[in-house]
Amino acid sequence: MDNIFIEGSKQTPEIKFIAESGELEIKGRSIPENTFDFFNPVLIWLEEYAKNPAKKTIVKVNLEYFNTSSSKYILEILKRVKNVMNDGHDVLVEWYYEEDDEEMMETGEDYEDVSGLPFSLISVEED
Amino acid sequence: MIKQNIYQNEDDFLQSAKEFMARGNYSQDELQLETKSLIENYDELISQVKIITKISDRLQKKLNKTNDKLEVTNNQLNDTNIKLNETIDALTEAKIGRKAGTIVMIVVIVLFIFSEVWIEPIIDSHFPNSEYPLVGLALKLFVAILIKPGEDITNRYMLKNARKKQIEEARAKREGSK
Repeated sequence: MDNIFIEGSKQTPEIKFIAESGELEIKGRSIPENTFDFFNPVLIWLEEYAKNPAKKTIVKVNLEYFNTSSSKYILEILKRVKNVMNDGHDVLVEWYYEEDDEEMMETGEDYEDVSGLPFSLISVEED
Repeated sequence: MIKQNIYQNEDDFLQSAKEFMARGNYSQDELQLETKSLIENYDELISQVKIITKISDRLQKKLNKTNDKLEVTNNQLNDTNIKLNETIDALTEAKIGRKAGTIVMIVVIVLFIFSEVWIEPIIDSHFPNSEYPLVGLALKLFVAILIKPGEDITNRYMLKNARKKQIEEARAKREGSK
């Protein structure tokens, strides 16, 4: 299965999903003009990945800001990852936030509650 | 299969429920199943709406905080900019003041040499018996009195030109950046 790599921009996050290692990384800012166009290939990839996932899937989310429609897509991504877990595979979501970014930390906690996935909230120093 | 928009699943469930109701000839069991499915989907949808609204509001708060920080930084930058402009003005004034002083000094020296070489002999020839010994001195005093106002006028003129040049440069820079 092919990996997926989308370079980040001022409006879109960097996406790096590696099927073999099970590392799925979303990083940056997500305020795309058309969220469907941006996230649709990612969701298609995840549906394919869910059919034959790695032994352990680690989702790394390191976002500084995202808009409302992106929050819905993040939920959709987590739902698909939940399907992987429900099929008996190991899954961990690493949610990164800057040490003084209380809002992003709480957002991670909310996603943890609603998705039912194991989360690791990781504080990182500001750039 | 990925659908056309992010709410496509929800739209599909709703459409299916509408079609079921429009059909009319359903049994009690079918009605029960359809209602159960509708409740489950509604439950899922409402939990998503709640979480998305909560996250959206929180990130709006973060955006507001960032805007506040930006405003503070912007004000600080404006203050620094004003101070910088004041310093540049003071430096320009000092530089021009020195230049004006030099120019006036050169003019005075030229006038002095001119008076010694050309004017003094004329005065001497007109007043040979030193009847009016103070004429030459008065002329030199007149030139000396003119030094300060001359320097001020030169200074003001050069400063005006320098400011005009600065404004033109700033305008050209603005137009160039468009």
